[in-house]
Amino acid sequence: MIIDRSTPGSQASLREANRARIVDAVKRFGGLTQVELAEATGLSTATISTIVRELTGAGVVDTRPTSRSGRRALKVTLARQLGLVAGIQFGHRHLKVALGDFGRTIVAEQQMPLPLDHRVDTGLDRAALLVVDLLERVGASMDELLTIGVALPAPVDTATGMISVRGVMRGWDDLHIGQTMSKRLARPVIVDNDANLGALAEHELGAGRGYRDVVFVRASYTTGAGIILGGHLHRGYAGTAGEIGHVQVDPMGDICRCGNRGCLDTVVGSSALLDLVRSSHGDLTLRDIILRARDGDPGCGRVIADAGERIGKVVAQVVNTLNPQLVVVGGELAAAGEILVAPLREEALRHTAQNTIAPVEVVLGELGPQAEVMGALTLALQSTEVATDHQTITALTDDSMAAQRHLDALRTKD
Amino acid sequence: MSDPTSTPALSLRGINKSYGAVRALSEVTFTVHPHEVVAVVGDNAAGKSTLAKVIAGVITPDSGIIESEGVPVTIPTPASAHALGIATVFQELALCDNLDVVSNLFLGRELRRGRHMDEAAMEEIARKILRDLTSRIPSVRSLLSSLSGGQRQSVAIARTLLGNPRIVVLDEPTASLSVSQTAEVLTHIERLRDLGHAVVLISHNMNDVRSVADRIEVLRHGRNNGSFPGHSTSHEEIIAAITGAGDYSMPAH
Repeated sequence: MIIDRSTPGSQASLREANRARIVDAVKRFGGLTQVELAEATGLSTATISTIVRELTGAGVVDTRPTSRSGRRALKVTLARQLGLVAGIQFGHRHLKVALGDFGRTIVAEQQMPLPLDHRVDTGLDRAALLVVDLLERVGASMDELLTIGVALPAPVDTATGMISVRGVMRGWDDLHIGQTMSKRLARPVIVDNDANLGALAEHELGAGRGYRDVVFVRASYTTGAGIILGGHLHRGYAGTAGEIGHVQVDPMGDICRCGNRGCLDTVVGSSALLDLVRSSHGDLTLRDIILRARDGDPGCGRVIADAGERIGKVVAQVVNTLNPQLVVVGGELAAAGEILVAPLREEALRHTAQNTIAPVEVVLGELGPQAEVMGALTLALQSTEVATDHQTITALTDDSMAAQRHLDALRTKD
Repeated sequence: MSDPTSTPALSLRGINKSYGAVRALSEVTFTVHPHEVVAVVGDNAAGKSTLAKVIAGVITPDSGIIESEGVPVTIPTPASAHALGIATVFQELALCDNLDVVSNLFLGRELRRGRHMDEAAMEEIARKILRDLTSRIPSVRSLLSSLSGGQRQSVAIARTLLGNPRIVVLDEPTASLSVSQTAEVLTHIERLRDLGHAVVLISHNMNDVRSVADRIEVLRHGRNNGSFPGHSTSHEEIIAAITGAGDYSMPAH
C-alpha cells in the first residue's frame, strides 16, 4: 500500500507530525486498536507501536488489551485521569452527548438529530443510552462516570433541576429533569440553561478567558444570554437571568410561547426566520438558511443580518444594565460568522453608553457549536470538585482506581 | 426543502400495482426534489416497500407516469434505475461479510490499472466517501463481519454514493439499530441532503422520520393518505393519518 503522504522537513518534524496524526485519529474515533490506527493514519504498524509507546509514557494515551475479530489487540484511547464526566445538550432539533475528563478534553462525542417538540421521556432515554455507548466506545466502564451535566434551551432552576418558566419546552415542564435522568444513570445530574453553560465554557476555555464580566449571547432557534459577573455565573433567583428572548421588541407583535406579546423570540426565533423566506425560497430549515447565507445567498444573508440587528438592540440594553467588558456571540446562528455578528455589534454599540475605561467588545465565540456541551462538562467537573476536597483530588491522581473507590464512598455518604 | 420552483428529481403519478387480487399501490403520487428528504410512512403492508421497489426498478407498475427531472421515463430494471441516478439501500444490505470495506464498496465495479486492480485508488475514494458521510469506520480494510450494524449501514450508504446518484432510497435504515447507531445513520441522512442528493426514506419510526424529513408522505392501504411538512407536524397528526383516523386521501398538490 503506497499512499502519497510525504511530510516535508526533518526526521524530528516528521515524527512530530506522525504523533499529532495518531492523537487526532484517537480523538476522532474515541478508541482504536493499533492495527486500526495504522489504517486510519496510513502509518506502518511498527511506527504506530513505537509512537503509541512514547505517547503512553508521556501520559497522552492509554492502552488496554481487547480483542478484534477473535484476535488479541491493544486498544488505544486518550489517557484519562480521575474518571469521566458526561455533558448532554438538548437543542431544539438535536441532541449532543460528550464525555470529558479532568483535563477538560472531550474524549468522545455523538450528535443526533431530533424531531420538533421532541418528547422528554424518549429524549432522556436516548441520551442515557448514548452516554453508555460512548463509555463503551472509549473502553471505560460505568464506574468511571462521575457526574452528568445537562444543558436545556429553557430557564432552569438549578436547585431543583426543573424548567422554571412554563411553556418554553412543550411537555418538559412538570418533570424533575435532574432526578429523572439521575435514576437512569445512577449518577448525580446537574441541569442548567444552555446559554448559561455556553457562557461558562466561553469564559473558562474560549473567547472570554481572562475577562471578569462577560455576556454570552446565544442566537439559535430561540435567543438567550448567559451572564458572568465578577467571574461567576449569575443565574438569578429562579434561573431566568439573561432570558433576552423574552424582552418585548414589538408591543403589537405575536404571542410568544411564554405567554407575553412581541418577545424578541417571536421576531428572531427560528419559525419567524423561516417564515421570512418561505415565499422566496420555499420550506427551508434553520440549517439551510445558515448554510446558504454562508454560500452567499443574499436573501438568507439578509434574514440573518436583520436578526443580528434586532438582537443587537436588546443586547445594548443588557450592556447598559450590566456593563460587561465583553459580549461573546454563540449559538447555531453564530455559524454564519460576521454576517450575524457585524450588525449585532453595530447595533449593540450604537445604543450603549460607551465608557472610556474599557469599551465593550462584541466578538464571535471560540468554541462554536461545542460551547454548550463543553459548559455542561465544565459544570459537571466543578460539581465533582466540590464534592471532594482538594487534598483528596491530589491524592487521587496517583491511583485512579483508588480515586474511584474513594469517590464512590463519598457519594454514598451523602 | 421543497423549493416550489425547482423541477422534482423524481415524480410519480397515478401509480398502480396489483398482485393478483391485492392492490398494493393504487393511484399513488410521489415527488422528491434535490436537496430534500421525503419520508414514506405507513403501517405494515401499506405499500411503502412496494413504492421503494418501483423507484428502484425491482418491480414495474401496472400503470402510472414516472418522470425524472421532468422527462417521462420507465424503470424496468435495477440497472435502468442506476442509469437514471437512483441508488437504493434495501433492508437486507446485500454486503459480503467475508470482504473488507473497500471490496464491498467496489464489488462488481472495481477500478483497474492495466491488468490489476487499482487498490490504492479505491482505498482513497473509499476513505473520502466515508469522511464525507462523517462515518466513524476507522479502517477501510476492516472485514464487514467485524463491523456494527450502524457501521454496516454506513458502508451500504457509502456504496450507493460511489455512482454519485441524484436520488438515494433508504428502506428502513434504522430498523434493528441501537440508539447510537441510529444517531449515526440519521446524521448520514442529514449529510446526504447537505450534499444535494434527493433522499427517499422509508421508515415506520416516527421519531427518526420527524428528525430528518422535510416532507412526510403517508401511505394507507396502498393509497396516499396525506402529505405533511416534516419540520412542523406533530407525532399525533401523522399517526392519525397512518391509522386512518384522519382522512387526508385527497392529495393537497
